[in-house]
Amino acid sequence: MDAAVHLDRVTIHRDARAVVRDVSLTIAAGSIHIVVGPNGAGKSTLLSAVLGQTAFAGDIQLTFRRSGRIAYVPQAFVADKTLPITIGEFLALSRQSWPVCFGIRPAARARIAAILDRVGLPGMAHRRIAELSGGELRRVLIGNALDPAPELLLCDEPSTGLDHDAVVQLDKLLTGLRDDHGTTVLMVSHDRDQVRRIADKVSVLDGALKRTGSADEVFATSEPALREIA
Amino acid sequence: MSWLYDWWIDLAQALGLGEAFQYPFVARGVVAILVLAPLLGGLSHLVVARRLAFFSTTLGQAALTGLVIGVAAGEPLDGTYTAILGFCLLVGIIMVYVRRQTTLPPDTVIGVFMAFTLGLGICLLVAATRRFNIHQIEAVMFGSVLTITDRDLVLLLALGGALGIVVAVGYNVLLQDSLSPPIARAGGAPTAVIDYGFVVVLTIAITVSLKVIGALLVEAMVVVPAAAARNLARSTRGYLAWSIAIAAVAGLAGLFISTAWRVPTGGAIVLALSVCFFVTLPIGRLLR
Repeated sequence: MDAAVHLDRVTIHRDARAVVRDVSLTIAAGSIHIVVGPNGAGKSTLLSAVLGQTAFAGDIQLTFRRSGRIAYVPQAFVADKTLPITIGEFLALSRQSWPVCFGIRPAARARIAAILDRVGLPGMAHRRIAELSGGELRRVLIGNALDPAPELLLCDEPSTGLDHDAVVQLDKLLTGLRDDHGTTVLMVSHDRDQVRRIADKVSVLDGALKRTGSADEVFATSEPALREIA
Repeated sequence: MSWLYDWWIDLAQALGLGEAFQYPFVARGVVAILVLAPLLGGLSHLVVARRLAFFSTTLGQAALTGLVIGVAAGEPLDGTYTAILGFCLLVGIIMVYVRRQTTLPPDTVIGVFMAFTLGLGICLLVAATRRFNIHQIEAVMFGSVLTITDRDLVLLLALGGALGIVVAVGYNVLLQDSLSPPIARAGGAPTAVIDYGFVVVLTIAITVSLKVIGALLVEAMVVVPAAAARNLARSTRGYLAWSIAIAAVAGLAGLFISTAWRVPTGGAIVLALSVCFFVTLPIGRLLR
């Protein structure tokens, strides 16, 4: 088993309090690894450390064999949602070198149309980000992460705000990335059904790492940290 | 530059403008505004996107302090670029560093720096005015087209062009980092370099604009055009275009008001910008 992500005794402090304690974990390349746990367990913080956004003690090693592209689907879009930017312009930011404020190039326009088709938002490139519902915005963020296929995809509760059909569609997109492109997916989720459907491995985090195994193994236990998982 | 002045005088006569508008300094002012509008207007939509409006105010106040330090250090009043740029860069970079290191809200950190630069500036200003007439410093504080020289104009054109190219090249990554730093970072963007780099660009732009707009009012030029444009724009492209157009219209209107009624150029431009904002506010509501 090749490791795509290896965490060795990772500890993360916030305001002098250890929110993640001594976590050691290996995530296999080309697998979907889901981290579950109660609110405040440090799941998003751990993802942020893997992304390099949060300082930590210990060691995190990322191993790439192909493009080395990392993509991220955040839990919350922290930007000012009232900025006058269209979906097309947002997606074009990482798909063309020509400044987006001077227009979207035809090649990027075609890719954006294909992305929006994949996430179930066809023909919506001209809609403003500010006009989107929470679920639509999440689909845009997922679409932004899917193209080009990343080698490592970090998703922080990507199914939040999505209806059942959209979650099933998301599952297909994630398993498709794993199966067709060998993408490693490290994801935080609160959705027990989704975890059962797509996870190759599940880790239970509640400050410290409580357990790692298959979804069936993990959910068969009476782990207290799993009580909040729907 | 004589061709420029001849061209302006011919144009002013053709437009039926009064004698007061046919002087070379007005021509220099018009060219300066036409360079500043795309520079500051263009930057303004990124300043607002990155939530640096308050930060820009602090840089404007730091410019005043830098000016006084330059004067105290023996620089001529009409050539204090080095001290202003140096002090503003120092304050800007330290502000970004502290903001990145602390968990305090960004506006709190910026507020502390604003208080510091203002306090230092006022103390030094009182000391400096013992050696200079306060009216000599007034032009830099509030802006005046009378003080723009050919050298200033060349500097403005050269630096304005260079900054425009830098921002255009880095625009997509800059905007993506403004919208979501984690997504930008995942895509390989050097977010720390962007954070510091944008402040350096903004500081240089503010410094070269001081003679026209003035140290105390320059922040208006990097905030209000975008605020007014936001009322009208439906896309990033429109946002940039409206920001530049509003900066240009308000800049030229302010210059003409300043020439006609002999009020400080910076103040007149800021008033014109404010009018643009309040006019676009109800229009924006109607468009939504």
